[in-house]
Amino acid sequence: MTGLAVDDAAWASAWRRRAPGDKVLLCGGLVVTALVLPAWPGSALVAVVAVALALGPARVPARTFARAVRWPLAFVAVGAVTAVVEVGGDGVGWAPDAAAHAGSLVGHAVAGSAAVLLLATTTPMSDLLPALRRARVPAAVVEVASVTYRLLFVLLDSLRAVREAQAARMGYSSLRRSYRSSGALAAAVLTRSWDRARRMQEGLAGRGMDTGLRVLPEVLPSSRPFLAATAAGLTTIVATSAVLA
Amino acid sequence: MHIAEGFLPAGHAAGWTIAAAPFVVHGARAVVKEVRENPESTLLLGAAGAFTFVLSAIKLPSVTGSSSHPTGTGPGAILFRPPVMALLGTVVLLFQALLLAHGGLTTLGANAFAFAVVGPWAGYGAYRLARAAGAGLLPAVFAAVALADLATYVTTSFQLALAFPDAESGLAGALLKFLGVFAVTQIPLAVGEGLLGVLLFRVLTVNARPELERLGILTPAPVATAAGGAA
Repeated sequence: MTGLAVDDAAWASAWRRRAPGDKVLLCGGLVVTALVLPAWPGSALVAVVAVALALGPARVPARTFARAVRWPLAFVAVGAVTAVVEVGGDGVGWAPDAAAHAGSLVGHAVAGSAAVLLLATTTPMSDLLPALRRARVPAAVVEVASVTYRLLFVLLDSLRAVREAQAARMGYSSLRRSYRSSGALAAAVLTRSWDRARRMQEGLAGRGMDTGLRVLPEVLPSSRPFLAATAAGLTTIVATSAVLA
Repeated sequence: MHIAEGFLPAGHAAGWTIAAAPFVVHGARAVVKEVRENPESTLLLGAAGAFTFVLSAIKLPSVTGSSSHPTGTGPGAILFRPPVMALLGTVVLLFQALLLAHGGLTTLGANAFAFAVVGPWAGYGAYRLARAAGAGLLPAVFAAVALADLATYVTTSFQLALAFPDAESGLAGALLKFLGVFAVTQIPLAVGEGLLGVLLFRVLTVNARPELERLGILTPAPVATAAGGAA
Protein backbone atom coordinates (compact mmCIF):
# COMPACT_ATOMS: atom_id res chain seq x y z
CA MET A 1 0.00 0.00 0.00
CA THR A 2 1.45 3.38 -1.01
CA GLY A 3 -1.26 5.63 0.39
CA LEU A 4 -2.52 6.82 -3.00
CA ALA A 5 -5.55 4.70 -3.90
CA VAL A 6 -5.17 5.16 -7.68
CA ASP A 7 -1.51 4.11 -7.54
CA ASP A 8 -2.37 1.09 -5.37
CA ALA A 9 -5.06 0.11 -7.89
CA ALA A 10 -2.58 0.45 -10.77
CA TRP A 11 -0.08 -1.94 -9.13
CA ALA A 12 -2.83 -4.45 -8.29
CA SER A 13 -4.66 -4.21 -11.64
CA ALA A 14 -5.06 -7.29 -13.85
CA TRP A 15 -3.70 -5.11 -16.69
CA ARG A 16 -0.49 -4.25 -14.78
CA ARG A 17 1.56 -6.64 -16.98
CA ARG A 18 0.19 -5.25 -20.25
CA ALA A 19 2.55 -3.05 -22.28
CA PRO A 20 2.19 0.62 -21.23
CA GLY A 21 2.20 1.63 -24.92
CA ASP A 22 -0.86 -0.58 -25.58
CA LYS A 23 -2.76 1.01 -22.69
CA VAL A 24 -1.72 4.54 -23.69
CA LEU A 25 -3.00 3.83 -27.21
CA LEU A 26 -6.35 2.53 -25.90
CA CYS A 27 -6.91 5.29 -23.34
CA GLY A 28 -5.53 8.03 -25.63
CA GLY A 29 -7.91 6.81 -28.34
CA LEU A 30 -10.83 6.90 -25.91
CA VAL A 31 -9.90 10.43 -24.71
CA VAL A 32 -9.70 11.78 -28.29
CA THR A 33 -12.93 9.98 -29.24
CA ALA A 34 -14.70 11.45 -26.19
CA LEU A 35 -13.50 14.92 -27.13
CA VAL A 36 -14.28 14.97 -30.86
CA LEU A 37 -17.53 12.96 -31.07
CA PRO A 38 -20.85 14.55 -30.06
CA ALA A 39 -21.59 14.05 -26.33
CA TRP A 40 -24.61 11.95 -27.25
CA PRO A 41 -24.07 9.19 -28.12
CA GLY A 42 -20.26 9.32 -28.69
CA SER A 43 -19.00 10.47 -25.27
CA ALA A 44 -21.64 8.38 -23.48
CA LEU A 45 -20.37 5.25 -25.30
CA VAL A 46 -16.76 6.11 -24.39
CA ALA A 47 -17.71 6.54 -20.72
CA VAL A 48 -19.53 3.18 -20.65
CA VAL A 49 -16.63 1.39 -22.38
CA ALA A 50 -13.98 2.97 -20.09
CA VAL A 51 -15.88 2.10 -16.89
CA ALA A 52 -16.72 -1.42 -18.15
CA LEU A 53 -13.06 -2.11 -19.06
CA ALA A 54 -11.82 -0.78 -15.70
CA LEU A 55 -14.26 -2.72 -13.55
CA GLY A 56 -14.31 -5.79 -15.82
CA PRO A 57 -11.09 -7.11 -17.41
CA ALA A 58 -8.76 -4.67 -15.59
CA ARG A 59 -10.36 -5.57 -12.22
CA VAL A 60 -10.08 -2.08 -10.70
CA PRO A 61 -12.06 -1.89 -7.43
CA ALA A 62 -15.35 -0.04 -8.11
CA ARG A 63 -14.94 1.90 -4.86
CA THR A 64 -11.51 3.24 -5.91
CA PHE A 65 -12.81 4.22 -9.35
CA ALA A 66 -15.89 5.95 -7.91
CA ARG A 67 -13.90 7.81 -5.23
CA ALA A 68 -11.31 9.01 -7.77
CA VAL A 69 -13.93 10.29 -10.20
CA ARG A 70 -15.51 12.50 -7.49
CA TRP A 71 -12.89 15.28 -7.91
CA PRO A 72 -13.34 15.82 -11.64
CA LEU A 73 -17.12 15.53 -11.18
CA ALA A 74 -17.11 18.37 -8.62
CA PHE A 75 -15.25 20.64 -11.07
CA VAL A 76 -17.42 19.56 -14.00
CA ALA A 77 -20.67 20.25 -12.10
CA VAL A 78 -19.60 23.74 -10.95
CA GLY A 79 -18.00 24.61 -14.29
CA ALA A 80 -20.94 23.41 -16.40
CA VAL A 81 -23.53 25.29 -14.31
CA THR A 82 -21.42 28.48 -14.49
CA ALA A 83 -21.01 28.10 -18.26
CA VAL A 84 -24.76 27.89 -18.94
CA VAL A 85 -25.83 30.73 -16.66
CA GLU A 86 -26.45 33.90 -18.67
CA VAL A 87 -25.51 37.35 -17.36
CA GLY A 88 -27.34 40.22 -19.06
CA GLY A 89 -29.10 43.50 -18.52
CA ASP A 90 -32.08 41.68 -16.98
CA GLY A 91 -29.90 39.98 -14.39
CA VAL A 92 -28.90 36.34 -14.18
CA GLY A 93 -30.79 33.50 -15.89
CA TRP A 94 -30.34 30.27 -17.81
CA ALA A 95 -29.05 30.43 -21.39
CA PRO A 96 -31.66 29.32 -24.02
CA ASP A 97 -29.98 25.95 -24.67
CA ALA A 98 -28.70 25.54 -21.11
CA ALA A 99 -29.67 21.89 -20.60
CA ALA A 100 -28.22 20.70 -23.93
CA HIS A 101 -25.01 22.72 -23.49
CA ALA A 102 -24.52 21.55 -19.88
CA GLY A 103 -25.23 17.96 -20.93
CA SER A 104 -22.65 18.20 -23.69
CA LEU A 105 -19.99 19.65 -21.34
CA VAL A 106 -20.66 17.02 -18.68
CA GLY A 107 -20.71 14.21 -21.26
CA HIS A 108 -17.33 15.13 -22.79
CA ALA A 109 -15.70 15.70 -19.40
CA VAL A 110 -17.05 12.57 -17.67
CA ALA A 111 -16.08 10.36 -20.63
CA GLY A 112 -12.61 11.93 -20.90
CA SER A 113 -12.03 11.66 -17.13
CA ALA A 114 -13.14 8.00 -17.14
CA ALA A 115 -10.71 7.23 -19.99
CA VAL A 116 -7.78 8.93 -18.20
CA LEU A 117 -8.73 7.14 -14.99
CA LEU A 118 -8.68 3.81 -16.87
CA LEU A 119 -5.03 4.51 -17.73
CA ALA A 120 -4.24 5.80 -14.21
CA THR A 121 -5.75 2.78 -12.43
CA THR A 122 -4.03 0.19 -14.66
CA THR A 123 -0.55 1.70 -15.25
CA PRO A 124 1.86 2.73 -12.47
CA MET A 125 3.80 5.96 -13.12
CA SER A 126 7.07 4.00 -13.09
CA ASP A 127 5.84 2.19 -16.25
CA LEU A 128 4.81 5.44 -17.95
CA LEU A 129 7.97 7.45 -17.26
CA PRO A 130 10.25 5.31 -19.51
CA ALA A 131 7.66 5.86 -22.26
CA LEU A 132 8.37 9.62 -21.96
CA ARG A 133 12.04 8.85 -22.67
CA ARG A 134 10.99 7.00 -25.84
CA ALA A 135 8.94 10.10 -26.77
CA ARG A 136 12.30 11.99 -26.81
CA VAL A 137 11.76 13.87 -23.55
CA PRO A 138 15.34 14.63 -22.32
CA ALA A 139 16.77 11.98 -19.98
CA ALA A 140 17.49 14.58 -17.27
CA VAL A 141 13.81 15.62 -17.20
CA VAL A 142 12.58 12.01 -17.01
CA GLU A 143 15.05 11.34 -14.17
CA VAL A 144 13.83 14.38 -12.21
CA ALA A 145 10.24 13.16 -12.73
CA SER A 146 11.24 9.63 -11.60
CA VAL A 147 12.87 10.96 -8.42
CA THR A 148 9.77 13.10 -7.81
CA TYR A 149 7.54 10.01 -8.10
CA ARG A 150 9.72 7.94 -5.76
CA LEU A 151 10.06 10.70 -3.16
CA LEU A 152 6.33 11.46 -3.18
CA PHE A 153 5.49 8.49 -1.03
CA VAL A 154 8.33 9.10 1.43
CA LEU A 155 7.20 12.71 1.86
CA LEU A 156 3.51 11.77 2.10
CA ASP A 157 4.50 9.35 4.92
CA SER A 158 6.42 12.16 6.64
CA LEU A 159 3.43 14.48 6.17
CA ARG A 160 1.06 11.98 7.78
CA ALA A 161 3.42 11.18 10.67
CA VAL A 162 4.16 14.83 11.51
CA ARG A 163 0.48 15.82 11.20
CA GLU A 164 -0.57 12.95 13.47
CA ALA A 165 2.02 13.98 16.07
CA GLN A 166 0.90 17.62 15.86
CA ALA A 167 -2.78 16.65 16.18
CA ALA A 168 -2.00 14.48 19.24
CA ARG A 169 -0.37 17.54 20.82
CA MET A 170 -3.47 19.73 20.21
CA GLY A 171 -1.74 21.36 17.22
CA TYR A 172 -5.03 21.80 15.37
CA SER A 173 -7.28 22.76 18.31
CA SER A 174 -7.78 26.38 17.15
CA LEU A 175 -7.45 28.29 13.89
CA ARG A 176 -4.27 30.06 15.07
CA ARG A 177 -2.67 26.79 16.15
CA SER A 178 -3.79 25.11 12.92
CA TYR A 179 -1.95 27.73 10.86
CA ARG A 180 1.17 27.52 12.99
CA SER A 181 1.13 23.70 12.76
CA SER A 182 0.53 23.75 8.99
CA GLY A 183 3.51 26.10 8.49
CA ALA A 184 5.76 23.91 10.66
CA LEU A 185 4.44 20.84 8.80
CA ALA A 186 5.34 22.31 5.38
CA ALA A 187 8.79 23.32 6.68
CA ALA A 188 9.39 19.86 8.17
CA VAL A 189 8.45 18.18 4.88
CA LEU A 190 10.70 20.55 2.86
CA THR A 191 13.75 20.11 5.11
CA ARG A 192 13.20 16.33 5.15
CA SER A 193 13.00 16.30 1.34
CA TRP A 194 16.33 18.17 1.14
CA ASP A 195 17.86 15.83 3.70
CA ARG A 196 16.60 12.76 1.82
CA ALA A 197 17.90 14.10 -1.50
CA ARG A 198 21.32 14.88 0.01
CA ARG A 199 21.62 11.43 1.61
CA MET A 200 20.52 9.68 -1.58
CA GLN A 201 23.01 11.74 -3.58
CA GLU A 202 25.84 10.87 -1.18
CA GLY A 203 24.87 7.19 -1.31
CA LEU A 204 24.76 7.17 -5.11
CA ALA A 205 28.01 9.15 -5.41
CA GLY A 206 29.65 6.52 -3.21
CA ARG A 207 28.50 3.91 -5.71
CA GLY A 208 30.03 5.81 -8.62
CA MET A 209 27.00 7.64 -10.08
CA ASP A 210 28.25 10.01 -12.75
CA THR A 211 25.89 9.79 -15.72
CA GLY A 212 22.44 9.63 -14.22
CA LEU A 213 20.29 7.03 -12.53
CA ARG A 214 20.43 3.84 -14.57
CA VAL A 215 17.88 1.14 -13.80
CA LEU A 216 17.04 -2.09 -15.59
CA PRO A 217 13.74 -1.41 -17.39
CA GLU A 218 11.04 -4.04 -17.09
CA VAL A 219 10.10 -5.33 -20.55
CA LEU A 220 6.34 -5.72 -20.99
CA PRO A 221 5.66 -7.03 -24.53
CA SER A 222 2.98 -5.47 -26.69
CA SER A 223 -0.06 -7.66 -27.50
CA ARG A 224 -1.35 -7.79 -31.09
CA PRO A 225 -4.82 -9.05 -30.07
CA PHE A 226 -5.08 -6.15 -27.55
CA LEU A 227 -4.11 -3.61 -30.22
CA ALA A 228 -6.53 -5.17 -32.72
CA ALA A 229 -9.34 -5.09 -30.14
CA THR A 230 -8.48 -1.42 -29.40
CA ALA A 231 -8.72 -0.48 -33.09
CA ALA A 232 -11.94 -2.49 -33.53
CA GLY A 233 -13.50 -1.03 -30.36
CA LEU A 234 -12.71 2.58 -31.26
CA THR A 235 -13.99 2.06 -34.82
CA THR A 236 -17.21 0.55 -33.42
CA ILE A 237 -17.72 3.53 -31.09
CA VAL A 238 -17.24 6.01 -33.97
CA ALA A 239 -19.53 4.00 -36.29
CA THR A 240 -22.26 3.53 -33.65
CA SER A 241 -22.11 7.23 -32.81
CA ALA A 242 -22.47 8.14 -36.50
CA VAL A 243 -25.45 5.79 -36.92
CA LEU A 244 -27.28 6.90 -33.76
CA ALA A 245 -26.58 10.64 -34.16
CA MET B 1 -9.02 23.03 -8.68
CA HIS B 2 -7.73 22.17 -12.15
CA ILE B 3 -9.73 22.04 -15.40
CA ALA B 4 -11.00 18.47 -15.74
CA GLU B 5 -10.24 16.19 -18.69
CA GLY B 6 -12.52 16.81 -21.67
CA PHE B 7 -13.95 20.07 -20.31
CA LEU B 8 -12.20 22.38 -22.79
CA PRO B 9 -13.04 22.20 -26.51
CA ALA B 10 -10.28 20.50 -28.54
CA GLY B 11 -9.12 23.78 -30.17
CA HIS B 12 -8.71 25.52 -26.81
CA ALA B 13 -6.93 22.53 -25.28
CA ALA B 14 -4.47 22.52 -28.21
CA GLY B 15 -4.08 26.33 -28.10
CA TRP B 16 -3.21 26.42 -24.39
CA THR B 17 -0.79 23.51 -24.87
CA ILE B 18 1.00 25.53 -27.57
CA ALA B 19 0.97 28.60 -25.29
CA ALA B 20 2.47 26.70 -22.33
CA ALA B 21 5.01 24.74 -24.40
CA PRO B 22 7.74 27.45 -24.74
CA PHE B 23 7.78 28.01 -20.97
CA VAL B 24 7.90 24.28 -20.20
CA VAL B 25 10.60 23.68 -22.85
CA HIS B 26 12.58 26.63 -21.43
CA GLY B 27 12.23 25.07 -17.96
CA ALA B 28 13.30 21.68 -19.31
CA ARG B 29 16.41 23.27 -20.88
CA ALA B 30 17.22 24.98 -17.57
CA VAL B 31 16.90 21.61 -15.80
CA VAL B 32 19.01 19.77 -18.42
CA LYS B 33 21.74 22.47 -18.13
CA GLU B 34 21.65 22.32 -14.33
CA VAL B 35 21.85 18.52 -14.27
CA ARG B 36 24.70 18.49 -16.83
CA GLU B 37 26.72 20.94 -14.72
CA ASN B 38 25.78 19.40 -11.35
CA PRO B 39 24.54 15.79 -11.67
CA GLU B 40 23.56 15.79 -7.98
CA SER B 41 20.87 18.41 -8.81
CA THR B 42 18.65 15.60 -10.16
CA LEU B 43 17.84 14.55 -6.62
CA LEU B 44 17.34 18.08 -5.29
CA LEU B 45 15.05 18.98 -8.22
CA GLY B 46 13.13 15.72 -7.76
CA ALA B 47 12.76 16.59 -4.08
CA ALA B 48 11.48 20.06 -5.07
CA GLY B 49 8.86 18.48 -7.36
CA ALA B 50 7.78 16.02 -4.66
CA PHE B 51 7.56 18.89 -2.13
CA THR B 52 5.30 20.89 -4.49
CA PHE B 53 3.01 17.85 -4.88
CA VAL B 54 2.94 17.18 -1.14
CA LEU B 55 2.43 20.88 -0.28
CA SER B 56 -0.76 20.78 -2.34
CA ALA B 57 -1.90 17.91 -0.08
CA ILE B 58 -1.67 20.02 3.11
CA LYS B 59 -5.09 21.18 4.25
CA LEU B 60 -5.45 24.94 4.64
CA PRO B 61 -7.36 25.67 7.85
CA SER B 62 -10.35 27.97 7.30
CA VAL B 63 -12.69 29.93 9.55
CA THR B 64 -15.75 28.10 8.30
CA GLY B 65 -14.37 24.72 9.31
CA SER B 66 -14.11 23.50 5.74
CA SER B 67 -10.66 23.10 4.28
CA SER B 68 -8.94 23.64 0.97
CA HIS B 69 -5.51 22.89 -0.40
CA PRO B 70 -2.73 25.30 -1.37
CA THR B 71 -1.59 25.45 -5.00
CA GLY B 72 1.95 25.00 -3.66
CA THR B 73 3.76 26.83 -6.48
CA GLY B 74 4.45 30.13 -4.63
CA PRO B 75 7.18 28.86 -2.29
CA GLY B 76 8.70 26.87 -5.17
CA ALA B 77 8.83 30.01 -7.36
CA ILE B 78 10.79 31.86 -4.65
CA LEU B 79 13.08 28.93 -3.83
CA PHE B 80 13.74 27.48 -7.28
CA ARG B 81 12.75 30.34 -9.72
CA PRO B 82 9.86 30.32 -12.25
CA PRO B 83 11.61 28.60 -15.22
CA VAL B 84 12.34 25.50 -13.11
CA MET B 85 8.82 25.68 -11.64
CA ALA B 86 7.33 25.69 -15.18
CA LEU B 87 8.76 22.20 -15.64
CA LEU B 88 8.31 20.95 -12.07
CA GLY B 89 4.75 22.33 -11.99
CA THR B 90 3.92 20.50 -15.23
CA VAL B 91 5.38 17.24 -13.83
CA VAL B 92 3.31 17.76 -10.66
CA LEU B 93 0.17 18.36 -12.78
CA LEU B 94 0.85 15.15 -14.72
CA PHE B 95 1.16 13.25 -11.43
CA GLN B 96 -1.99 14.90 -10.05
CA ALA B 97 -3.87 13.86 -13.21
CA LEU B 98 -2.63 10.26 -13.05
CA LEU B 99 -2.42 9.69 -9.28
CA LEU B 100 -5.30 11.81 -7.96
CA ALA B 101 -7.55 12.31 -11.03
CA HIS B 102 -7.16 16.11 -10.61
CA GLY B 103 -7.00 17.83 -13.99
CA GLY B 104 -6.45 15.84 -17.17
CA LEU B 105 -4.16 15.06 -20.09
CA THR B 106 -5.73 17.13 -22.89
CA THR B 107 -6.18 19.98 -20.37
CA LEU B 108 -2.58 19.60 -19.12
CA GLY B 109 -1.43 22.53 -21.30
CA ALA B 110 -4.17 24.88 -20.01
CA ASN B 111 -3.59 23.84 -16.41
CA ALA B 112 0.20 24.13 -16.83
CA PHE B 113 -0.21 27.66 -18.22
CA ALA B 114 -2.21 28.73 -15.13
CA PHE B 115 -0.52 26.64 -12.41
CA ALA B 116 3.08 26.27 -13.61
CA VAL B 117 3.61 29.45 -15.68
CA VAL B 118 1.37 32.38 -14.67
CA GLY B 119 1.17 31.50 -10.94
CA PRO B 120 4.93 31.15 -10.35
CA TRP B 121 5.83 34.17 -12.52
CA ALA B 122 3.20 36.39 -10.81
CA GLY B 123 4.40 35.20 -7.39
CA TYR B 124 8.08 35.63 -8.21
CA GLY B 125 7.40 39.08 -9.74
CA ALA B 126 5.60 40.15 -6.56
CA TYR B 127 8.48 38.80 -4.45
CA ARG B 128 11.15 40.66 -6.43
CA LEU B 129 9.11 43.90 -6.47
CA ALA B 130 8.47 43.73 -2.74
CA ARG B 131 12.15 43.02 -2.00
CA ALA B 132 13.25 45.83 -4.35
CA ALA B 133 10.86 48.19 -2.53
CA GLY B 134 12.63 47.36 0.71
CA ALA B 135 10.14 44.86 2.15
CA GLY B 136 11.46 42.19 4.50
CA LEU B 137 11.57 38.52 3.54
CA LEU B 138 8.30 37.53 5.22
CA PRO B 139 6.06 40.32 3.78
CA ALA B 140 7.56 39.58 0.33
CA VAL B 141 6.85 35.85 0.80
CA PHE B 142 3.24 36.64 1.77
CA ALA B 143 2.73 38.79 -1.35
CA ALA B 144 4.36 36.16 -3.59
CA VAL B 145 2.52 33.11 -2.28
CA ALA B 146 -0.90 34.80 -2.10
CA LEU B 147 -0.52 36.30 -5.58
CA ALA B 148 0.73 33.02 -7.11
CA ASP B 149 -2.42 31.30 -5.78
CA LEU B 150 -4.79 34.05 -6.93
CA ALA B 151 -3.14 34.49 -10.36
CA THR B 152 -3.55 30.76 -11.01
CA TYR B 153 -7.31 30.93 -10.46
CA VAL B 154 -7.75 34.23 -12.34
CA THR B 155 -6.01 32.58 -15.31
CA THR B 156 -8.22 29.47 -15.02
CA SER B 157 -11.29 31.77 -15.01
CA PHE B 158 -9.99 33.55 -18.12
CA GLN B 159 -9.39 30.23 -19.88
CA LEU B 160 -12.93 29.06 -19.08
CA ALA B 161 -14.45 32.42 -20.12
CA LEU B 162 -12.60 32.28 -23.42
CA ALA B 163 -13.89 28.76 -24.04
CA PHE B 164 -17.48 29.48 -22.95
CA PRO B 165 -18.34 33.15 -23.67
CA ASP B 166 -21.69 34.32 -22.34
CA ALA B 167 -24.48 34.20 -24.95
CA GLU B 168 -25.60 37.75 -24.14
CA SER B 169 -22.66 39.59 -22.55
CA GLY B 170 -19.82 37.79 -24.38
CA LEU B 171 -16.32 37.32 -22.98
CA ALA B 172 -16.64 40.08 -20.35
CA GLY B 173 -19.82 38.59 -18.88
CA ALA B 174 -18.36 35.09 -18.89
CA LEU B 175 -15.17 36.33 -17.21
CA LEU B 176 -17.28 37.96 -14.51
CA LYS B 177 -19.14 34.66 -13.93
CA PHE B 178 -16.06 32.46 -13.77
CA LEU B 179 -14.10 34.97 -11.67
CA GLY B 180 -17.04 35.07 -9.27
CA VAL B 181 -17.06 31.29 -8.91
CA PHE B 182 -13.37 30.36 -9.14
CA ALA B 183 -11.36 33.49 -8.18
CA VAL B 184 -13.41 35.59 -5.71
CA THR B 185 -14.05 32.53 -3.55
CA GLN B 186 -10.30 31.94 -3.72
CA ILE B 187 -9.32 35.28 -2.13
CA PRO B 188 -9.57 34.06 1.51
CA LEU B 189 -7.76 30.87 0.50
CA ALA B 190 -5.02 32.90 -1.22
CA VAL B 191 -4.60 34.93 1.99
CA GLY B 192 -4.49 31.63 3.91
CA GLU B 193 -1.84 30.23 1.57
CA GLY B 194 0.12 33.49 1.94
CA LEU B 195 0.05 33.07 5.74
CA LEU B 196 1.13 29.44 5.37
CA GLY B 197 4.05 30.62 3.20
CA VAL B 198 5.09 33.15 5.88
CA LEU B 199 4.99 30.47 8.60
CA LEU B 200 6.93 28.07 6.34
CA PHE B 201 9.69 30.62 5.63
CA ARG B 202 9.80 31.71 9.29
CA VAL B 203 10.61 28.13 10.29
CA LEU B 204 13.06 27.76 7.36
CA THR B 205 15.03 30.88 8.33
CA VAL B 206 15.71 29.18 11.68
CA ASN B 207 16.03 25.50 10.66
CA ALA B 208 17.36 25.70 7.11
CA ARG B 209 19.35 28.95 6.97
CA PRO B 210 22.33 27.43 5.03
CA GLU B 211 19.97 26.12 2.30
CA LEU B 212 18.24 29.52 2.02
CA GLU B 213 21.65 31.22 1.78
CA ARG B 214 22.75 28.76 -0.90
CA LEU B 215 19.55 29.47 -2.89
CA GLY B 216 20.18 33.23 -2.57
CA ILE B 217 17.06 33.90 -0.50
CA LEU B 218 19.05 35.11 2.52
CA THR B 219 22.36 36.97 2.47
CA PRO B 220 25.08 35.02 4.31
CA ALA B 221 25.89 36.59 7.65
CA PRO B 222 29.39 38.17 7.60
CA VAL B 223 31.99 35.88 9.09
CA ALA B 224 33.62 37.39 12.16
CA THR B 225 37.38 37.64 11.64
CA ALA B 226 40.04 37.88 14.30
CA ALA B 227 41.12 41.51 14.78
CA GLY B 228 44.62 42.26 13.69
CA GLY B 229 45.18 39.11 11.64
CA ALA B 230 48.38 37.13 11.63
CA ALA B 231 51.35 38.93 13.03
